[in-house]
Amino acid sequence: MKISNITKRYDKFSLNWQKSNRFDANVYGIIGSNGCGKTTLMKIMAGLIKPDSGAIDYGNLTPQDITMVFRKPYMIHDTVYRNLVYPLEIRGMKPDEAQIEYYLQMAGLSNMRNQYAPSLSSGEQQKLSFIRALIFSPKMMLVDEAFSNMDIESVALFENHILKMQKDAPIIWIIISHQLSNIKRLCDYVYFMHKGTVEAEGTVDDVLFGPQNPNLQKYLHYQAIVSGR
Amino acid sequence: MFAFLDQEVWAIIIRTMIMTLSSTAISTVLGVPLGLWLEQARFPGKTLLVSVNRTLLAAPPVVVGLVVFLLFRRFGLFGALGWMFTMQVMIIAQVIIITPIICSIVHTAAARNGDQIRSFALTMGANQIQTQILLIRELGNEIFFSVVTGFGRAMSEVGAIMIVGGNIRHHTRTMTTTIVLLRNQGEIDQAIFLGAVLMVIAFVVQMTGNFLRKREQRLDENF
Repeated sequence: MKISNITKRYDKFSLNWQKSNRFDANVYGIIGSNGCGKTTLMKIMAGLIKPDSGAIDYGNLTPQDITMVFRKPYMIHDTVYRNLVYPLEIRGMKPDEAQIEYYLQMAGLSNMRNQYAPSLSSGEQQKLSFIRALIFSPKMMLVDEAFSNMDIESVALFENHILKMQKDAPIIWIIISHQLSNIKRLCDYVYFMHKGTVEAEGTVDDVLFGPQNPNLQKYLHYQAIVSGR
Repeated sequence: MFAFLDQEVWAIIIRTMIMTLSSTAISTVLGVPLGLWLEQARFPGKTLLVSVNRTLLAAPPVVVGLVVFLLFRRFGLFGALGWMFTMQVMIIAQVIIITPIICSIVHTAAARNGDQIRSFALTMGANQIQTQILLIRELGNEIFFSVVTGFGRAMSEVGAIMIVGGNIRHHTRTMTTTIVLLRNQGEIDQAIFLGAVLMVIAFVVQMTGNFLRKREQRLDENF
């Protein structure tokens, strides 16, 4: 996938991705303060928002290959199981019960398969939304702060799953996270956004350990304070 | 007091149910898609159309009855149909009254949750039709509420159907117009009895709907 010169303007905010970037089957991280345009950018990539200008070339990807996991996921008013098989149903695919059980086990939701999904805790909903996105084997996965309410054990399990997937059958991952531990562990390439523009980019080492940009330095400084370092 | 098996009372009840269910069904078919469309469509004058629909919520039934009367009277625009003082024209009057109610409730619910449901469907790979099906399914509670509200309004309506139906015995007399007639005749006991029957019917319809949608009432701990 390739994005070029994306702009999007709202009343008090404008996104300006004034560059051309290609996204291959790697894990990309996007970091930055609240309101810097990360989610807007991701929604544009997912096709949920139309940019004012610029272009996205999805290459061989179809809308059915792309998915997005939200910080506050939508739960269908039905059971955990029905939520999980929804993407399979709309593709006319028969659910593979062994695969479903595998994902439910991974998310720790195996004993909740018949529970009403909107009644799950926010962390459980995030886990369900994550496996619901994985179950139809997308080729591009957009993750918007989807680890934020998960317990540490679950985060580790999902991170391991992503790393394993990238070894076995890599796909494009674009991950927004305020937890730099996720970014450090998972990402091949990181973008730092500030007030709607990309101010720094590079490998994890470049961006997180040797930042030149003053806004990035400030951002990492506050992250370090919050992390107790 | 009415004899419980009085054929005329039963005929009035059945006539009322046919009229109410017909007008509710037609208004549902019109109002639900219209409410969903109003939320999704982008066109100049949309705000005005939404405002007009909301204004119609408060339209006095007697005014609606009067307009329908003018349209369907012998020399009215649709006078040639010969529907004046028939069940058909009573249903039309009710449809005009309750379609805006159903449309407005569905529109409000869709405006609240529609974006999130559509975004979810899109990110799951759903096509347009699958997205609309999901939207209707997810707004099921609100749609049900709109239909029950419309049904209740149709069931209790008296002004418009009195004007266009004429409250003709064995022909267009319904439960509400009968209650008005009985009250005017001083037959208060019979009016109360018929009112109670009306309430029981409304209760049974509402409970049946609730039973069909029993799954939805669950706790959500993420408040």
